[in-house]
Amino acid sequence: MSDAVNRQKSDLSALNEDYTAKYGFHDPVDYFHKGARGINHEVVEMISRMKNEPRWMTDIRHEALDIFLSKPTPQWANTEVLDEIDYDNIYYFMKPIEHQGQTWDDVPEYIKKTFDRLGIPEAERKFLGGVSAQYESEVVYHSMQEDLKKQGVVFLDMDSGLRERPDIVRKFFGTVIPSNDNKFAALNTAVWSGGSFIYVPPGLHVKQPLQAYFRINAENMGQFERTLIIADKGSRVHYIEGCTAPVYSTDSLHSAVVELIALEGSHIRYTTIQNWSRNIYNLVTKRSTAHKNATVEWVDGNLGSRLTMKYPCIQLVGEGARGEILSVAFAGHDQHQDAGAKVIHAAPNTSSRITSKSISKDNGRASYRGLVKIHKNAVNCKVSVECDALLIGENARSDTYPTMEIDNEQVRVEHEARVSKVAEEQLFYLTSRGLTEDQARLLIVNGFMEPFTKELPLEYAVELNRLIELEMEGSIG
Amino acid sequence: MADTVTEYTIPELTPELQRGPVWLRDRRRAAREAFNALPLPRRGLHLWRYTDPSRFVIPPGADAGELNGDFAKVADLERRHLADGRLAGVVTDRGGREISRVGLDEAAGLGVVATALSDAVDSHFELVERYLYQLVNSETGKFEAMNGALWNDGIFVYVPDGVTLEKPVHLLRAAGGAGTAQYPRLLVVVGRNAGLTLIDEYGGGSYDVAAGQAYVNAAVEIFGDDDSRVRYVALQRQAPATASYLTHRARIGRGASMLTIPLVFGGLLSKQNFGVVLNGRGAESKMYGLLFGSGYQHLDNHTLHHHAASQTRSNIDFKVVLRDRALSAYTGLIRIDRHAKTCEAYQENRNLLLNKGTRAETIPELEILNEDVMCTHGATLGPIDPLQLFYLRSRGVPENDAVRMVVSGFVTSTLKEVPDDLRERISDFVSSRLEGL
Repeated sequence: MSDAVNRQKSDLSALNEDYTAKYGFHDPVDYFHKGARGINHEVVEMISRMKNEPRWMTDIRHEALDIFLSKPTPQWANTEVLDEIDYDNIYYFMKPIEHQGQTWDDVPEYIKKTFDRLGIPEAERKFLGGVSAQYESEVVYHSMQEDLKKQGVVFLDMDSGLRERPDIVRKFFGTVIPSNDNKFAALNTAVWSGGSFIYVPPGLHVKQPLQAYFRINAENMGQFERTLIIADKGSRVHYIEGCTAPVYSTDSLHSAVVELIALEGSHIRYTTIQNWSRNIYNLVTKRSTAHKNATVEWVDGNLGSRLTMKYPCIQLVGEGARGEILSVAFAGHDQHQDAGAKVIHAAPNTSSRITSKSISKDNGRASYRGLVKIHKNAVNCKVSVECDALLIGENARSDTYPTMEIDNEQVRVEHEARVSKVAEEQLFYLTSRGLTEDQARLLIVNGFMEPFTKELPLEYAVELNRLIELEMEGSIG
Repeated sequence: MADTVTEYTIPELTPELQRGPVWLRDRRRAAREAFNALPLPRRGLHLWRYTDPSRFVIPPGADAGELNGDFAKVADLERRHLADGRLAGVVTDRGGREISRVGLDEAAGLGVVATALSDAVDSHFELVERYLYQLVNSETGKFEAMNGALWNDGIFVYVPDGVTLEKPVHLLRAAGGAGTAQYPRLLVVVGRNAGLTLIDEYGGGSYDVAAGQAYVNAAVEIFGDDDSRVRYVALQRQAPATASYLTHRARIGRGASMLTIPLVFGGLLSKQNFGVVLNGRGAESKMYGLLFGSGYQHLDNHTLHHHAASQTRSNIDFKVVLRDRALSAYTGLIRIDRHAKTCEAYQENRNLLLNKGTRAETIPELEILNEDVMCTHGATLGPIDPLQLFYLRSRGVPENDAVRMVVSGFVTSTLKEVPDDLRERISDFVSSRLEGL
């Protein structure tokens, strides 16, 4: 055990005592087990107390809860699936240690099989399966932390971030995604826990990508993650979140909020690959602000889950800012990937590119939902949007809902979308070269995904290719 | 200007509206009840994202009023076209007051019917009872229910099986002045292996914003049987203080082809919805839209291609030109059903913005429910290409003329599809809109 973890544990137990003293519960741990389902102001107060947060954060949480309770479910979305969510039957906070409540036997067979096929090491399997709260990669993590600290980079989980750098957090928290932005952002703001907090000082180029993978605690995979990344002037950082292996969790609702702030001349790339197990509603709000001459890139891969709603957004607020969103969705059996991208051009001479690729298989449904908004003063902007969809299987469904709102004429906007199945002549060509039809189809799908995979670090790309291979075989589930 | 009304229920239908057969009276009553029960469309739904539905709620007490069609010039032109044989006939729809017909003798000889809908309810009761309200009804929406309850007259066009009317039939639809409301309706039934070209022109309305708006709520239903060929042109050139709502739905059968040409020029506020359901194997639908907005016009258009059968093909090309402070909101949906295999669908929306202050929203949408399709869509938006202007100016063309040339180049491919007798007028509309730029 590292000092950090020990310290955190003792912090938590200290918090428990404080909580017991304050509220007179005899056994708060028991309380969690028996049914702190549902949400109200007491739960929010309790979460904030347990974390020993400053009052201003507690107030933000309470205010957000009111917004969550008053906002209706978005009507433009797949309400059929969204209405399945029973908000009263959800645990909104669990201490990390309680994630260990389940045993390996509880983890569904298809998840275990996938771990097998992907060759995930034993220790990681338990972590990803939600059995173990920790994944022992401490040594790597620790040496990296030391190195970063020397350079002045702050890379912490969000709770520690709030404790150690309340000044920065207070200045930026909720400035990109205010709690009244949407129902799920409000929920996250009320009950957030975990997530990453990164601050890169001016002019610094962080050489190695920062990976959430190495941030070792269960909140890593938390239900209501809150991530805040600030790249100060002229700095450069690449953050990687998630992994290709399926993450199993019994919590059915996951609602993260990710805020990126790229100050003048900085560059942030945020890579996510998520592969939630199929019981999960994954409702995420991701947004970034790019200041003068800054660049933000979202590389976003969505696999798994029952319903994913995720539309990474870039607000180009400074002249010369640039944004790029590359998004991939794979919708298999009974899944709806409602993903997309948003770009708001609020300054002149800004440019953006959106590339979206989706695959719908069996009765899976992949939707692209996007927005390009160009404000009146944002002259000389360039936007290009490209959506490709591949349909595999008779009942596959693909939707494209791009929205373009253009309030001035000195711009160039292009949008293109294509939907098709695997082309017969491509299949014919490959099978005539001796490949089986399955191999040929896989090759075509891999080719279709390549613009995405080539943007990933090698180990992720390899894993993703294997995962798609499994999905294509239909051997999962 | 009349105040916007958000709460309005249709009172008991007037005796005049309750005339006719029992089935019609029942359907009108049902539509009235549906309108009164339905809430206003929610702004959260994307089709209403850019247009406030309460602006189509007609102030209580508005009735047909004095109709003005501004048709004198058009009528002259049409008489000439009839004389030189370019037109099969003209039907002028002045609401409940009168439906007048000119020409059409040759058409009548072939068995083609173009008459008042209220007359057709008796004379062609089987067809009217079977088709009326099938495609545009209270399930389509609240304002469609409004027309279903209140249409005071309309036009019925019927082409029997095997008959092709080569020359177009021109329909002229009047609107009232400030503070009036009109509910025109059109029902078209084209038989098996039959052919028809219709020009459906909406004019008139209120000319003076200060005096108040005129309201028009129109419904169009077109049925093309197997192997039919229908061309339908909807020309919107209402007066500048008119608010108009139009829902068009067509359904075509096996091997049928349909060409729809929405031409949008008029009105202060207009929301139009053009949809074709490809309902039989091998059916093909094309839409060529052209919108030119100027002044403070707010023009909201929706197109739908619904592939409900296999081996169907569709193509949409919707062009938008905007100047001054005009706004265009275009949403186009391609829907391909689960059982509709090997379909092809294309959609393109191009927007040309001539000056600062214009606004264009474009949402080309796809809903594809099976894998065996070929489907693409594209949208572009921008000012006139400075390189094109530079080229023309370097050849000695003055800037204004150069802009005209580029715009007319932009609209040419659409004008090519417009029937001969109308093309010149549309091209004049475009030129007159470019004046003073």
